[in-house]
Amino acid sequence: MRLRRNSNLLVEPPSSATGDIAFNLIVFFLVCASIQPDSGRKQTLPKADQVEQEEQQTENIQVEIARQAVFLNGDLIAMKDFQPRLKAKLDVKPRPEDKVVVVKSRKDTPYSQWIAVTSRIEDAGGIVTLQLEEEQTVAVP
Amino acid sequence: MKIKRKTSRAEVPSMAMGDIAFNLLIFFVILARAQDDSHLQWTPAKAANIESAGNSRVSIVVDKDNKLYLNGGEIGVGQLAAAIQEELGNAPAGERVVLLKVHQEILAQRFEPVIEAISEAGGDLVHIVEDENKK
Repeated sequence: MRLRRNSNLLVEPPSSATGDIAFNLIVFFLVCASIQPDSGRKQTLPKADQVEQEEQQTENIQVEIARQAVFLNGDLIAMKDFQPRLKAKLDVKPRPEDKVVVVKSRKDTPYSQWIAVTSRIEDAGGIVTLQLEEEQTVAVP
Repeated sequence: MKIKRKTSRAEVPSMAMGDIAFNLLIFFVILARAQDDSHLQWTPAKAANIESAGNSRVSIVVDKDNKLYLNGGEIGVGQLAAAIQEELGNAPAGERVVLLKVHQEILAQRFEPVIEAISEAGGDLVHIVEDENKK
């Protein structure tokens, strides 16, 4: 007896589970996206205070940041020499309050330059304090 | 003669459950995206020795168009300190993290008042930057 082969095999994937698969995929990608943490640098700044110009003492180390230059106590210094020179100045100051570094930025200083300098100050052991200029309107008679 | 009552069982159709869950999920995702700042465009600056910022209630962005955002909503620098204080409430130290995301080309005259406002509000400032050793 000759057996006839069944060549009419049409197998379809079950489509009833498609919704569940899509749901699980979305949950997976959501979880992946939400657990990606931000990374950065912590910076402890003293609480903002208004200090009169006359009261400011120049005992602390002063750093001025320009667009493409940095000044340490008024002297122009190369970026590669900045951290070692600052560290040498800070190392001779034992008290934490003497390690305060007053940072003044020129108006056209980009954030990338600012963060590069302030991170070097912190890495050298300094405590960053910002010196901001307040805009005042002066009436001229 | 006693007529037998025909009982019909009504069932909630379970076929649509997947679709309902899917639509609910999309709804909540869109709602969540309205409060975050992932749609804002900014390029982080580079720095060394960076660490994980952890969780925070407050995220501030200064984007490439020089616009200031608090938790995804645009805000003026004048109202920033009060708004941060409101967000942080009476949170104890260590839970007052404020993430600051500044586009790398933004100038000091724009971002320094923002840093001052965070300091005034008593926030623990974390600059979101990229590792300079990462290529």
